[in-house]
Amino acid sequence: MKILVPIKQVATLDEDFEFREDGRDIDPDFLIHDLNEWDNYTLEEAMRLKEGPGGEGIEVVVATVGPESADEELRKCLAKGADRALRVWSDALEDADAIGVARVLAALARRESPDLIFAGVQATDHACGATGMALAGLLDLPHAAVVAALDYTPGSNSATVRRELEGGSYASVRIDCPAVLTLQLGINTPRYASLRGIKQAAQRPIEVLDAEALGVTADALGAAGSASRVRRMYVPEKGRAQMIEGTPAEQAARLAQIIKEFGGAA
Amino acid sequence: MFATERFDPQHVTRILFEGFSSPAIALFYLVGFAAIGVFCWGTWVQIRKYRRGQPQGAALALVPRFIDMCRTVLTHRTLVRRDPAAGRAHRLIFFGFALLFLGTSTIALDYDVIARVMGRSIWTGNFYLWFSLVLDLAGVALIGGLLYMMARRGWIKPPKLDYTRPDRQPGDPDYDRSFYRREDWAFLWTLIVIGATGFVLEASRLVWLQARPEVWELRWWSPIGAGVAEAMRGAGLDADGAGALRSGLWWFHGALALTLIALIPFTKVKHIVTAPASLMLRNPLAAQRLPRQSPDSERVGYSTITDFTWKHLLNLDACTKCGRCHEACPARASGAPLSPRDVILSLREFANEALQKNALPDEAKLSVHGKDVGQVFMETLWSCRTCMACVEICPVAIEHVPIIVQMRRKLVEDGAMEPQLQKTLQTIHKTGNSFGESKRKRAGWTKPLPFQIKDARKDPVDVLWFVGDYAAFDPRNQKVSQAFATLLHDKGVDFGLLFEGESNAGNDVRRVGEEGLYELLAENNIAMLGASTFKRIVTTDPHSFNTIRNEYPEFGGKYEIEHYTSFVQRMLEEGTLKVRRPLGYRVTLHDPCHLGRYNKGYDAPRRILQALGCELVEMARNRDNSFCCGAGGGRIWMPDPVGAEKPSQIRMREAGDIEGLEVFVVCCPKDLTMFEDALKTSGFEGRFVVRELIELITEALAEPASVAGMAREPAEDALLA
Repeated sequence: MKILVPIKQVATLDEDFEFREDGRDIDPDFLIHDLNEWDNYTLEEAMRLKEGPGGEGIEVVVATVGPESADEELRKCLAKGADRALRVWSDALEDADAIGVARVLAALARRESPDLIFAGVQATDHACGATGMALAGLLDLPHAAVVAALDYTPGSNSATVRRELEGGSYASVRIDCPAVLTLQLGINTPRYASLRGIKQAAQRPIEVLDAEALGVTADALGAAGSASRVRRMYVPEKGRAQMIEGTPAEQAARLAQIIKEFGGAA
Repeated sequence: MFATERFDPQHVTRILFEGFSSPAIALFYLVGFAAIGVFCWGTWVQIRKYRRGQPQGAALALVPRFIDMCRTVLTHRTLVRRDPAAGRAHRLIFFGFALLFLGTSTIALDYDVIARVMGRSIWTGNFYLWFSLVLDLAGVALIGGLLYMMARRGWIKPPKLDYTRPDRQPGDPDYDRSFYRREDWAFLWTLIVIGATGFVLEASRLVWLQARPEVWELRWWSPIGAGVAEAMRGAGLDADGAGALRSGLWWFHGALALTLIALIPFTKVKHIVTAPASLMLRNPLAAQRLPRQSPDSERVGYSTITDFTWKHLLNLDACTKCGRCHEACPARASGAPLSPRDVILSLREFANEALQKNALPDEAKLSVHGKDVGQVFMETLWSCRTCMACVEICPVAIEHVPIIVQMRRKLVEDGAMEPQLQKTLQTIHKTGNSFGESKRKRAGWTKPLPFQIKDARKDPVDVLWFVGDYAAFDPRNQKVSQAFATLLHDKGVDFGLLFEGESNAGNDVRRVGEEGLYELLAENNIAMLGASTFKRIVTTDPHSFNTIRNEYPEFGGKYEIEHYTSFVQRMLEEGTLKVRRPLGYRVTLHDPCHLGRYNKGYDAPRRILQALGCELVEMARNRDNSFCCGAGGGRIWMPDPVGAEKPSQIRMREAGDIEGLEVFVVCCPKDLTMFEDALKTSGFEGRFVVRELIELITEALAEPASVAGMAREPAEDALLA
């Protein structure tokens, strides 16, 4: 059987950063890349099944939609034990949103036909939390989001998952396979990829695919296949806090006045 | 009475087998050869055990090492350190035993070879008489030394001889190591009985042969034997009785001595071979320059006992459980489940169990990691601060730190580590520093300075200052860095930095056991240094100092590098720096592990303090016995157990014992962080302050007028400014 683990190379920001000239993204000079935090857990969950009872035949395939720099994250996954790594890219994907990325992943999933797909709940940079569920929608597969525990016997045609709900409650759900699950942080303890392992993984091939070659047509690629477009990125204005000076009585009077003003505005 | 002129020198000798029947002599030879046979077989088993380890790398310069070993053994230099009484007692035992062994060998050589080949014995006349005297004195030395060791074990009971283990619980099968206690006593008793029966045997021979003038009249050449003989005669023993006693005792004494020889390879007695061998293989940079890891190797670090080099396997057998490492270890002192001695003994027991059999057990049974008897816990390995206190004091050159790091490499590969450490390693991989700050912020501390610092990657400089993570990113240490930069700038030193080109030097990453990451960091720094023009490197960070100085050369980075203390000391001596305001503080100095023990930089900070007009009062543990702050070996990235007293707090108490102490001086950024924290948590805040030496230097160099208004009390404002 096969588990597909879509991963993402995310960006973290320097404290002082600048926007790109077009104002729609951060200047790449100020980005530090890393593997999305959730993806450590999704890969670990796949590896846990692979290394657990009955998991001998499981193939773990990691895949990402991203430029060449994302190979580094795929190598980390190979170092941790993934069997195969795939990367899909076309320049047009630069402008893809979560839906646009999901379209590419869906094309890839059709080619690979995995038994399970483990995606992260969200990515640390854009925090859309949409890619996994969009993928399930496009593939028309059963899905469960924000999975905090997974009970699955390799080869069986259903899994029991515990979904994290609001307010600290959980829902236990039985789901038919193949299925798309988005996994929550803390579902397991991710392993460490030593630099030695990562270096050795550098010798292993990463299959690079063209989105078009996967059958994603131009009208579904990148901006064309996306449901949203970034208009502007900006740092919100700092809050308008002010100290109210004076005696306690004066302060109270001023405060009451401000509340009235805001009340009136609302 | 002591003259030999009256006797034919050929008759002035000692009877050997007189009164023995031929079968009895034959039996003795048989037993003797059997004992030697068992010894040889045991020796082979030991050699086979070592051969089951890995090759140890570079060829050894055996001749100088042999000479060095002889010097160490003969002077007992390593044995008298920090325990002079035990060292002296061991010296008595060693020389006593060695002389008696040489004497007995001489007799065997004379009787079985020389006398048969040359037709006459050389063990006669004056030679024999002096021989008797020397061996009698050797016997006294042996027994005297043994008696002290017995008193030490029985009455003095130093805590380091308590073998109970901090890494096991009462009730665990290997908790108290009582077997070793029994073996110690058996060893002492065996030797002392051999020595004592030797004297009684000598005395009974004298009484038995009292009618022979060449025996009796020369008896005082064996003063102890003669004294005992007088006592025997006084007690009414006659010649016949003495003869009977002699033949019984002869067999007992002989059998015991031969048993001891046969048991050498199997008991603690083997240290008489393994300890000198280990000393001969001593690597003076064992902890300073950790072994490289072959990048293509399938295996990582020490996973099984057969991954150990034969030299490390021999190290395990050299341990005499003296407890010097146990006593010196800061992890052990703070209640961590680690005693370097127990790691070595556990591994030794494991090696003996697994590698002494004819066939090697399955690979699964060779793993040294785990929770079983003889295996080493991962908590134990992660407790190590790699401060080198154990390696430094080990009298037989055991390499605890490299062994522990090799074992950690396996843990790192398996991800068996604290989550926080794992995160830090990932952070260092991502950003090149342990603070998780972006590269471009590395030189952020220079921004408030009123002058520009040169970028050594662009402009040639005399001095390249390698700053290190803590001095660059930690806000408290940034102040020190700014002070040092100002000092260099004011004195016109042509210096520069690598700015964001600098990465974590990797010293502690390597000691954590993440060799791949270390190589990456070292290669990055070496590439940056290679692209810069400078004459020498000066660093304010002892950790960076160690790895750049001792480990980078193996990766192609050979530089002239020094710690700032020696650099500043030279500036003071040359007059480039002038003390304008002698400080007069009562201070104590903490030797950073990586400057002191690792690189022997003990004197420069002390001379600086002297030049600054400080009154230096040493803590009990100083210089090579300095007590680690607890941050080394990556421990600064791991949480210490809650509740237990930390090494840094123990150190604060030690400093607190100094009457009227004003300043606790450090010269390492991590020390500043660790001890300023410990000062608060151990309740000494307000009593004295922790200062980086650079801060005292700056203060002493300042114009008197600018500090005239300040109180002389360092604890109040001058030092808290």
